[in-house]
Amino acid sequence: MEASPADPAARWPLTLLAGSALVWLVLSSLLALVTAIQLHTPSFLADCSALTHGRAQALRETAFLYGWAGNAGVGLGLWILGRLGGHPLRALNWAVVGTVFWNLGLLAGMVGIATGSMTGFAGLQLPRAVQPVLVAAYCGMALPGVLAWAGRKREGTYAAQWYAVAALFLLPWFWTATQAVLLWSPLRGVVQTVAASWHAQSLVSLWLMPLALAAAYYVIPKQTGRLLPGYESAPLSFWTLIVVGGWNFGRHLIGGPVPAWIPTMAVVAQCLLLFHFLVIALNFRPVLAGGSLTLQYLRFGLVAYLLTGLLETLTSFRGVAVHTQFTLLVPAMEQLTLQGALSMFLFAGLVYQLPRVLGRDWTLPTFVSGHGSLYMLGVVVSVLSLGWAGLAQDALLNHSQTPFAEILAQLKTPLLLHTAGQFALLAGNLLLLVAFLRSAAASCCREAGASVLRPASSAS
Amino acid sequence: MKNRPLFLLGLFAAVLVSWAGFVLGSHGQLGTLTPFFDEADGQSHPARLPGLAARGQAVYADLGCAACHTQQVRRPGFGSDQARGWGERQSVARDYIFHAQPQLGASRLGPDLMNLAARKPQAPSADDLHRLLYTGSAAHPAFPFLYETRGIVGESSRHAVRLTGAAAPKAGSEVVATERAQTLVAYLLNVNSGFEYPEARPLPAKSPASPEAKK
Repeated sequence: MEASPADPAARWPLTLLAGSALVWLVLSSLLALVTAIQLHTPSFLADCSALTHGRAQALRETAFLYGWAGNAGVGLGLWILGRLGGHPLRALNWAVVGTVFWNLGLLAGMVGIATGSMTGFAGLQLPRAVQPVLVAAYCGMALPGVLAWAGRKREGTYAAQWYAVAALFLLPWFWTATQAVLLWSPLRGVVQTVAASWHAQSLVSLWLMPLALAAAYYVIPKQTGRLLPGYESAPLSFWTLIVVGGWNFGRHLIGGPVPAWIPTMAVVAQCLLLFHFLVIALNFRPVLAGGSLTLQYLRFGLVAYLLTGLLETLTSFRGVAVHTQFTLLVPAMEQLTLQGALSMFLFAGLVYQLPRVLGRDWTLPTFVSGHGSLYMLGVVVSVLSLGWAGLAQDALLNHSQTPFAEILAQLKTPLLLHTAGQFALLAGNLLLLVAFLRSAAASCCREAGASVLRPASSAS
Repeated sequence: MKNRPLFLLGLFAAVLVSWAGFVLGSHGQLGTLTPFFDEADGQSHPARLPGLAARGQAVYADLGCAACHTQQVRRPGFGSDQARGWGERQSVARDYIFHAQPQLGASRLGPDLMNLAARKPQAPSADDLHRLLYTGSAAHPAFPFLYETRGIVGESSRHAVRLTGAAAPKAGSEVVATERAQTLVAYLLNVNSGFEYPEARPLPAKSPASPEAKK
């Protein structure tokens, strides 16, 4: 296992980020299980005001995006920028303080959502009061990464660095812009919906996905020992994602009371993004050979990412959207993107990163590989079952006048399967959390042991 | 990528273009929409939401009703919106100019809630909605925390929910809609897009053979 001399200094800040990410991940999969059960049994926990379906959905989404993917992605981004920058990370105190405030802010935000301060914009449900705190905390977390980029040793740069630094730099900018037009001086009428959907798309395209891709770009050559094929196209692919990645939100607004050019721009953007997906497919091709667990995560993530690109392009056309819009196919595709592609890249990064940061191999490797199998199984089952439900729902919802109670009754089988898939995801995530805690504890004990027990060991 | 400031400037500019184009662009297009004054009935449309209903929008948002319900009717022929009786025309931006926070929604696990008070053949009454919210149904969760059960002192409350069967409270007590439930129901009954704005009129249906239809 190759370790970098820069790793020990960053050990605890990065472990803190990864640990908080995994705790949020387990929490969000618990909430996902609740919302999945509520889909086929609407009375489940309905009388608990904090977990009524709308709030449970918002809590799940917030915990997943900002808690799990945010913490894990930033941890990986900082680590990659530090290693490729050639110097140990500087200003790590800022990252620690930022991480603490980010997580406390999120916790306050979750309590706020559960007790009725949710904003009601999808992807941005966090209460108004905590949003500026989170932006400030994020700036602290991102600082060491940007410093490592600016003060790097070598002139030449790698794709992993571009993606990571773009994500670290862009979130505060577009989140502040969105807050200004939605929370502090709200625009009028449906322009709010446009701004909120733009933000929700940018969160994935400009923040989380770049962090995940940075991890993949960093890990793949290390794990396969090969140069990335077609790497010379990577810069253009990067800029395609950054420039048009946020333009495709209009695919959710087809037929809605928004300017008609917004859905049209989504078609344009999706077609341009096909180039980005093509280059990613070329660059990441070595992972298809498989091998270690990290490569299996990456392979699954790559396939899911490419499928996401194709399906999103298809559904941005109006003739297809008339079937998919407002059905469960939308959450099915979202799960494919977020759990299938995004999370898999992040898992690959974490499974590769943590042993190097902690300075020891996984204490419970079976738990980690168990997580891999359960998570992949869970994603396949829940995406396919939601897709099945969505197709059935399209026929009943859009092409007949079946009453809604009957539609839900007919979707019961796929929705029960979806719950089973969510259960597998939760079980897998718990395994990974336990494996992480054991490794971190072992690493911690060894460090403490090394200082406390030294006289004894020298005596023997 | 070698030039550090230029790289960061490029990132900044990419997002600036996207944000300005989409958010400011649609604000420029729709931000100045005014109500439409109809000379025939001497009123301007849309009307502002009544106070109770305007407060109900916040309840709708914080309960996350938009997780399962939309509030947007698509044009006739695009999906079954019109066939289901949700509205005779598509929703347009002008319908929402007095909504503090439009709740278009993105999922239809439940029906669309635009024009609820004008449903055919039978529009739900406030009582029907309170009953659904209090007891739930096979496809709709109950929201009992929006109601309180209390003993009747003197006259029964005018906000008492009329319940029968298993959901009915014990003799001598009643289930009363809290203020949040009242505002929510008032809101649901006031979200509508009834008026025919010039921009909302669907294109007249033409036979595919006519030359105009090809344009």
